[in-house]
Amino acid sequence: MSDYNAIVIGAGCGGLTAGALLAHQGRKVLVIEQGERVGGCCSTFEHKGYKIDLGASIIEDPDVIDWAFQRMGTTFKKEVDLIPVDPAFSAILNDGTKITYPISLEETADAIRAIAPEDVKGWEKYSKKMAGFLDAALKGFFVTPASNLGEVVRLFAKTPSLLKYNSMFFSSYEGVIRKYFKNERIIESLSFHSFYAGLPPALLPGHFAMIPYSEHAGIYYSKGGMIGIPRGLQKCGERKGMKVRLKSPVKKILIEKGRAMGVMLEDGTEITSDLVISNINSKKMYLDLVGEEHIPWMARKGLKSYTYSMATPMLYLCLNYTPPLTDHHTLMTVPMGKMDDYWENFYKKGIFPAEQFGILSWTTKSDPSLAPKGHHVIAVTLAPGPYKLQGTSWDREKPALIENIIKFLSKKYLPGLEKHVVHADLSTPVDFEKRLRSPEGAIYALRQDLPHSLMFRPSARSRFIKGLYLVGASTHPGGGVPTVTASGMIAADLIEKYER
Amino acid sequence: MKALIIIAAVIAGLLLLYAIQPRYRKRFVKNLLSQVKYLIPRYFT
Repeated sequence: MSDYNAIVIGAGCGGLTAGALLAHQGRKVLVIEQGERVGGCCSTFEHKGYKIDLGASIIEDPDVIDWAFQRMGTTFKKEVDLIPVDPAFSAILNDGTKITYPISLEETADAIRAIAPEDVKGWEKYSKKMAGFLDAALKGFFVTPASNLGEVVRLFAKTPSLLKYNSMFFSSYEGVIRKYFKNERIIESLSFHSFYAGLPPALLPGHFAMIPYSEHAGIYYSKGGMIGIPRGLQKCGERKGMKVRLKSPVKKILIEKGRAMGVMLEDGTEITSDLVISNINSKKMYLDLVGEEHIPWMARKGLKSYTYSMATPMLYLCLNYTPPLTDHHTLMTVPMGKMDDYWENFYKKGIFPAEQFGILSWTTKSDPSLAPKGHHVIAVTLAPGPYKLQGTSWDREKPALIENIIKFLSKKYLPGLEKHVVHADLSTPVDFEKRLRSPEGAIYALRQDLPHSLMFRPSARSRFIKGLYLVGASTHPGGGVPTVTASGMIAADLIEKYER
Repeated sequence: MKALIIIAAVIAGLLLLYAIQPRYRKRFVKNLLSQVKYLIPRYFT
C-alpha cells in the first residue's frame, strides 16, 4: 500500500493544476516543492514591505486557466482576485517613438494609423487571422496530448480548422509579422513578443505570432502579486485533501521493474506512491532523478539532444518615486533584425551588455498595495541572458551590471531613476538555476522551436517508465502560465484514462 | 544519366531559392535543418 496515490514533484502552475485535478478525481495527492513558496516562475517574494514578482508579470489567455478551475467546480475569477490590465502594453522604440496598444482592436487600429496609416489594413487582416487561429489553438492544440504521431493526427482531426493555419508552423515569427506589416516601427513594436516564447523573431515558429494579438483578448494581473494564481490552484486542491510540502528537494524517483513507485528526498526520506507527476525540467528529471540506467538508448540520445530554453535575467527595482511610465507593461525595443543579431552576436557568444531591451513591468501601477505608500516596484525583464558569460561570471559582474543598467534605464527610459532606487537586485540565469532548480535558468525549460515541439517534446505520459507523467514547460504544449496549466489538465486526463 | 541531371537541377534550384531568401528566413531554415538528425531520437522521449 503506497503512502499516496500521486506525488507531484514541483509546485509550479502545471504541477498544482495536475495535483488539484487529481485530488478532485478522488486521489490522495502530495505536492513536493523544493523552494519556500509555490508558483515556480509565476511567484512573488517580499523584500522589506515590497512585493516583487519573480518572473511572470501578467496573464494572457485567461480562459485556459479558467477551464482548469471550472473542472474543479469554480472559476478563475472566484479563486483569484484579477485586475484587468489596459492598455495591453506600450512600446518605446529605439528612436524614442512611443506606441500604445490598447486592448480594444479598434483603438489599436487608431494607434497604428497615427504612426503608419499604411499598416491599418495589415492590422485588420492580422487580427482576423489570429482570432481564428487562437480560437482553434485554444480548443485543440492547448488541451490535447501530442506525444506521438497518432495523437498529433487526432489533435488535428479534433480541430480541423488548425490545418488552415499550417503555413504558420513552417514560417518564422518574423516572417508572419512581416507578411502583415510593412512599417519598420510597427514591426519593431511587435518584435519583443517573440521572446515571450523564448526565441528571437527569426527562429521562433510563426504560430507564436498570435502572442501580440492574444493580449487583446484580455490580460490580467493578480492582486497581491502573481503568486495569487498558483495559490488559487493550491486552495482548490487542498479543499479535496491535496497536501503541499515546501522546502523538500527530491533526490531520486524510485523505479522498480520499470514503474515509478515514489520519490526519495534529499534528506533520505522515501515516500511511496502509485503515480509520480514531474513538474520539473524533463531532461534533468530523466537524466538525474530517474537515472540513465532506466532509459532506453534511443530516448537517452533524444533527451541529451534537447537544448535548454533561454534564461531571462530580471532586475528588481524598489523605488521611492512614481516612475515616469503610463502602463503596466512598457516594452523597450530595438529593430527586429537587431534582436536577431543580438541572439547571434551576444547571447550565443556569452556577452551581456548593459544597453538593454526588454520589458518594464510596473506592477504597482495595477496594484499599489505591493509597495509602501508613495513607493513603487518595477520588475525589468532583460534581454535573454547566456548561462555562461565569456571570460567572467555572473556573480562577479552582478554589482557593475546593476549599476550600469540602472544608469542606462535612467538615461533612456526612466529619467530620475538613479536617485530613487531604494533597493535593486539582479536575478541572473545562475540565480534562477539555484532558486528554481531550473537547469541553466531556462525559463521555458526546453527550446520552443519545431524540433522541440509536439511529438518531439518529451511525452506527457512517459513512454518508458510506467506511472510517470510530465507537466510544465518541458512537455506539450510548452512554456507560459496558461500553457503549463493546460499541461496539468492534459496529464490529469491521461491519468483518468490510463490509471483508473 | 537523365535522372542525375534532374536531381542536380532540383538541388541547384533549391540552393538558388535559398540564396535569394532574406536573412531571417535563412536563419529559420538553417535552425530546422541543423536539428533534423535529432527528430527520431526525440520522438522516443
